[in-house]
Amino acid sequence: MNQLDTLIHMANQIADNNSHYGTQEEAAIRVAAHLKKFWARSMKQQIIAYLQQDGSKLTPLAQTAITQMQASLRPEPADLCR
Amino acid sequence: MLQHFDPSKGSAYKGSPDKDYGTPARLSETLVTLDIDGVQITVPEGTSVMRAAALHDINIPKLCASDNLEAFGSCRLCAVQIEGRRGYPASCTTPAEAGMKITTQNGKLARLRRNIMELYISDHPLDCLTCPANGDCELQDMAGAVGLRDVRYGFEGENHLDAKTDSSNPYFSFDASKCIVCSRCVRACEEVQGTFALTIEGRGFDSKVAAGQGGDFMSSDCVSCGACVQACPTSTLMEKSVIDAGQPEHSIVTTCAYCGVGCSFKAEMKGDQVIRMVPYKGGDANHGHSCVKGRFAFGYATHADRIKHPMIRDSIDQPWREVSWEEAIGFAARRLKETQAKYGRESIGGITSSRCTNEETYLVQKLVRAGFRNNNTDTCARVCHSPTGFGLKATLGESAGTQTFDSVMQSDVIIVIGANPTDAHPVFGSLMRRRLREGAELIVADPRRIDLLKTPHLKDAQHLPLRPGTNVALINALAHVIMDEGLEDTDFIASRCDDKGYQAWRAFISDARHSPEQMEAVTGVSAEAVRRAARTYATAPNGAIYYGLGVTEHSQGSTMVMGIANLALATGNIGREGVGVNPLRGQNNVQGSCDMGSFPHELPGYQHVSDDAARARFEQVWGVTLDDEPGLRIPNMFDSAIAGTFKALYVQGEDIAQSDPNTHHVESALKSLDCLIVQDIFLNETAKFAHVLLPGSSFLEKNGTFTNAERRINRVRKVMPAVAGKEDWEVTQDLANALGYPMNYAHPSEIMDEIASLTPTFTGVSYDKLDQLGSIQWPCNDEHPDGMPTMHVEDFPIGRGQFAITEYVATEERTNRRFPLLLTTGRILSQYNVGAQTRRTDNQIWHDEDVLEVHPSDAELRGIRDGDWLGISSRAGQTVLRARISERMLPGVVYTTFHHPGSGANVITTDSSDWATNCPEYKVTAVQVEKVSQPSEWQQNFRSFEKLQHKLLKGDAATLANGNGAG
Repeated sequence: MNQLDTLIHMANQIADNNSHYGTQEEAAIRVAAHLKKFWARSMKQQIIAYLQQDGSKLTPLAQTAITQMQASLRPEPADLCR
Repeated sequence: MLQHFDPSKGSAYKGSPDKDYGTPARLSETLVTLDIDGVQITVPEGTSVMRAAALHDINIPKLCASDNLEAFGSCRLCAVQIEGRRGYPASCTTPAEAGMKITTQNGKLARLRRNIMELYISDHPLDCLTCPANGDCELQDMAGAVGLRDVRYGFEGENHLDAKTDSSNPYFSFDASKCIVCSRCVRACEEVQGTFALTIEGRGFDSKVAAGQGGDFMSSDCVSCGACVQACPTSTLMEKSVIDAGQPEHSIVTTCAYCGVGCSFKAEMKGDQVIRMVPYKGGDANHGHSCVKGRFAFGYATHADRIKHPMIRDSIDQPWREVSWEEAIGFAARRLKETQAKYGRESIGGITSSRCTNEETYLVQKLVRAGFRNNNTDTCARVCHSPTGFGLKATLGESAGTQTFDSVMQSDVIIVIGANPTDAHPVFGSLMRRRLREGAELIVADPRRIDLLKTPHLKDAQHLPLRPGTNVALINALAHVIMDEGLEDTDFIASRCDDKGYQAWRAFISDARHSPEQMEAVTGVSAEAVRRAARTYATAPNGAIYYGLGVTEHSQGSTMVMGIANLALATGNIGREGVGVNPLRGQNNVQGSCDMGSFPHELPGYQHVSDDAARARFEQVWGVTLDDEPGLRIPNMFDSAIAGTFKALYVQGEDIAQSDPNTHHVESALKSLDCLIVQDIFLNETAKFAHVLLPGSSFLEKNGTFTNAERRINRVRKVMPAVAGKEDWEVTQDLANALGYPMNYAHPSEIMDEIASLTPTFTGVSYDKLDQLGSIQWPCNDEHPDGMPTMHVEDFPIGRGQFAITEYVATEERTNRRFPLLLTTGRILSQYNVGAQTRRTDNQIWHDEDVLEVHPSDAELRGIRDGDWLGISSRAGQTVLRARISERMLPGVVYTTFHHPGSGANVITTDSSDWATNCPEYKVTAVQVEKVSQPSEWQQNFRSFEKLQHKLLKGDAATLANGNGAG
């Protein structure tokens, strides 16, 4: 699997494992929180880019969650770059 | 010594760890006062007269007594007189009673003891001056104590002086001519180790110690734990290292660097040479017991293969060049800076080690976060216990086990899931067996019939042989029964757990799809067996769950950890002795490396990088701005390396090329790196792909701390100089300084002080306090100044316990016609992890190759016989191993270990991983097995690559012409 396929697979796997938490909205909040908490910035950027371009391989729950997660992604702190 | 189990830590009746009080401590709260030689002595009821006297330094002669064993009363040397009673009772078997008046020394007792010694010595060689026990022999001491001057019987009669020596064990010999048949070795094997390999054969004068039935030690059930050697009062059972070198002259207490039990040892030394490792009675994790690895397998530290000089090279097909530390560090720093300049801030990272100390681990993640200016730090716990961190934090609020090891002695029912303690955590396995012999019930959920189920004198055992990959289905079925049959602890749930979460979980788990009857087809375990196990656990006064990598290393590893926590919460088995949720950690410092902020999303103390307040505290002390987004985990690093965005990696004390799954993938990732810096004690598999090789230091060569599976912080003390001149933390510090991020620690204690200042659960920890208390179980802070043995007694760090919804999602790694069998992997007692240490010791004798265990019915179907070469292929790759026919697995399941790199066990394991943490699914790989006649292509390449890299290590430039680094 290439890197993007791996990320898609991971996002779907997270969605599948959280899909039984209440309603789809509640489940999406959990999935988004998980991605926010554990994924590196570059991974988040790649999956967001994929969702914007295509997204077809992502389950509906993963798509909703990634959209939510995108809103909370903070810009890179400027003084980190040297 | 296991008999020293004593929860009343610091009690006056516990005594000093350096003295043998003859019989075990007793814990009664009722005290009795007696008179011994005119001294009024008060002890807990049940204490022997011998121990009561010894506690006040009245030392009654003894031979067959030792305070790690129950009194035996066979030598009679400890006879005393009791006022108003007849005869000369043995003080070891006589309990102290109120008002007793004891005389331990008078003319009559002296004559009696001298006569006993005379009889012993009449059948014992008088070669004391040349005897290996000279200077450390209790028989010699007692002869002196009783004033033996003459042996009237002579040596002409029948005797055992010509008895043969059994030298079959590589580490100790058994010289039967020196044996006094005191039975201490036999009792140690039974009571302390629980193996029952030794026995007394024959009667009367013919009595002798025998290993098994007539064979030698190596052919018996002996597991070489060494408890018998430690128990022997003479030179009968003696370390070969002492026979060779003589008695040690000083000793230093330190902590074992093998498994997560974290045993305390006395390193007994001659100058800077370790003569032997003796488990330390004052160690609260092991109470003076140990296993074959910790006690005997320390020779790797001085093995000829140790890397003694820093080395560099521009590419992996070039010979290594030995250089100075300055040049190597300068080279590494330059390459890291160049990589970052070219590929960006996030293009480099580091991996910390569960085999290194807390201080070293802390420093590597600090180097990454503050020096590299990103969060690309991870640790090998990623591939073992990362789901534990995730699952326990989500449910109980803290990423750690809830109990002490000693807690198991209060358990009535012990559930073991996906763990094999007698092989992987042997000292705790012995403690567990002790409790099982006392009558606790055992439930094992494992595809394999693990040795714990074969515990001698086991009262009752339930084995749930589930199919690999169906853990969550099983744990849900167990929980379903508890709710279905009304076995839950409603008071605990109401007072301690979040109600909304509980109601949601209750509705979820009560659904009929989780019933054992429905799940039977999935797990392969009968509904009846599941119901019985659930009832046994839920109705016991104290039920404890222990689990290992058979829980975590699955695509639903995190879900399963939460499922286990659900079960404990629902039955109220949390917050006191004898219960709890207990992860058995694989490596010595897995707990510590997680605590120290090795994970890319968490700063030390599990503080998330996006937590502004926590980050601000670190930024202030570290003097830099920190990234507020998580970094890459190990598998993400590999993927990014192959994609070309991750280009440099600093690996301290880990062998990712051997231990991580899908070797092809790992190797191509490592080959994609522009700069791989490996710090290790040997040229490990990963180092073969490296550009900079920095010599590491073994646990004997440095100061620091390890944190074991029960959150116990133990001191590691330097007993010999570092082979290459630097302790590992010094190397990281040099690298940081060369990168322009200043670090100036003079001693690891200063690093611990910084950890304490930044980690809320460590604020009270210091080297002074560790020296004072021996060890500390975190949290240790103002609220718990001496640490906290049992967690969650009154509340959870997150307030209330959180039930988790644990839907069973089947793994994608499934059998089909092409891959009809399931492979699961594990460990063996004598070898440790990737084997880099134990393979360089005589432990090789027990396991010099990894084999594939195949069930007889699967073997018959394929015409496989014991010892045949088998090709094992999966979706990821192929390797070849020798067959061993075994009934320990279910039909359809095959099993191997990963201790030898040439076996290529991880060539076949796949990329499949835990949904929450990316912990690899080592425990489930669909495979096919067939007879073959030659090693696999990977193995053939491995051998030629290994040969080449060893030549390059010797700086052999000629190899440049004829090798190309195939791998």
